[in-house]
Amino acid sequence: MLRKFNFNFTKNLFRQHPKPLAGDWLILLIGLISVIWMFQQFWQTAPASQFKIRQGNHIVGIFDLNQTRDLSIKGARGESHISIENGKVRFKKSPCNNQYCVHQGWLNRAGQVAICLPNQISLQLLGAKSAYDSLNY
Amino acid sequence: MRLLSILAFCLLLTSCSRPEPIHNTQSYVFGTLVDITIYGETEEVAQELSGEIIRDFQELHNRLHAWRASEINTLNIAFKRNNLPATVRPDVAAIISDATALSIQSKGAFNPAIGALINYWGFQSDELKPVQIDDLKIKELLSHNPQMIDISIKNGKAASTNPHVQLDLGGYVKGFALDSALQTLRQHGVRNALINVGGNIIALGQHGDKPWRVGIQHPRKPSAIATLDLESGWSIGTSGDYQRYFILKDKRYCHIIDPATGYPVTGVQAVTVLIPPQANAGTLSDVASKPIFIAQPNLRAEVAKEMNVENFMVIESDVKIITSSAMAKRITWTDVATAKYVTQIQL
Repeated sequence: MLRKFNFNFTKNLFRQHPKPLAGDWLILLIGLISVIWMFQQFWQTAPASQFKIRQGNHIVGIFDLNQTRDLSIKGARGESHISIENGKVRFKKSPCNNQYCVHQGWLNRAGQVAICLPNQISLQLLGAKSAYDSLNY
Repeated sequence: MRLLSILAFCLLLTSCSRPEPIHNTQSYVFGTLVDITIYGETEEVAQELSGEIIRDFQELHNRLHAWRASEINTLNIAFKRNNLPATVRPDVAAIISDATALSIQSKGAFNPAIGALINYWGFQSDELKPVQIDDLKIKELLSHNPQMIDISIKNGKAASTNPHVQLDLGGYVKGFALDSALQTLRQHGVRNALINVGGNIIALGQHGDKPWRVGIQHPRKPSAIATLDLESGWSIGTSGDYQRYFILKDKRYCHIIDPATGYPVTGVQAVTVLIPPQANAGTLSDVASKPIFIAQPNLRAEVAKEMNVENFMVIESDVKIITSSAMAKRITWTDVATAKYVTQIQL
């Protein structure tokens, strides 16, 4: 009984709509657009889920990016303030003259790095698939 | 039979979850970040070798420092005082000779003798402050025309015919460090490593079954603009206006000074060069980008040729990128939209 029903269902489906309707094209189009969008978004650099803080060669810790939290890390110069905000992280404040680290702004993709050279603190975003092993700058 | 296949499947799983034999060490030397990645060695071997390399770097840094007490600083003082020739150790003498040859090859665009100018602009400091720009003072410093060929080395003694020669090997030493680290790793039989000294990178072997992959920093965004595979022995270096600079009256003054004008180079964001395997590949990755960065836009390709650089990329602005055709084949844009700003040039 069940088998017969299934057979008829598929048979009817094709019989009733031999040609795709406007809605089908719409679904195909939406599918295509989202595939292209996801390809661009995720293929090269996956969004990071965690990040690593180092002071010198010491790993201060690996932190989850999906939280909202401020961290204060003691470096060679003083305290650097690091902000985590739902999937992104940045240097908020640092005891260095040039503030290059603060100007780097938000990081959210695997492989991205921000460094405060004077305070010897680095942030490195981690992800399942980092796009590269090391960064040339 | 079924039990056997379950067992085989379990074995497959364990081989997948085994951590990669990769070891990463970071340190701060040469006023920048040193990052050493060693693949395929035990933790102990990797740690010991990274430690050795970082100690060597520290020694090199201390000996070649341009503005603190060092062997180079001693030479600079001797040159300034027009004193009797000063003692120079063989390895430093070799570095000076090599830097002189590269300076000649670049027709003076790479000129490590302009320490006085670099100091005037405030770049001989770990942290930068905007300076008062005195055009007359710059003109005066320029008129002294310090050149590497003013230095002569004989029987372990160095002298300069020009008292205004002030060595600053800041554009050389990070690349040189890559070459010496590579040598150390090879001597110890390491087959796979990636060394990054302040952005200059050299590769040895590969990362497992794939080549090492590096990202090239976007000059204005906190991400990579492109990626490329760095094959064994290859080295990559970038000169940019974004690593060390200060802003004065809305104008950016970067740390790369044109020895011909005495002023920081403007109008270009970054020049990246890719150097094939050779004994001084690391050194060239540091040095060869500078003459291209300094050159007039229409002369960059010619200057690259003079420096024997086949693979280079110039980011002139946010919407103007130039790559040599050889380089274009190697890079992948992180954002596909970047491609529309790119012009390829045939060397």
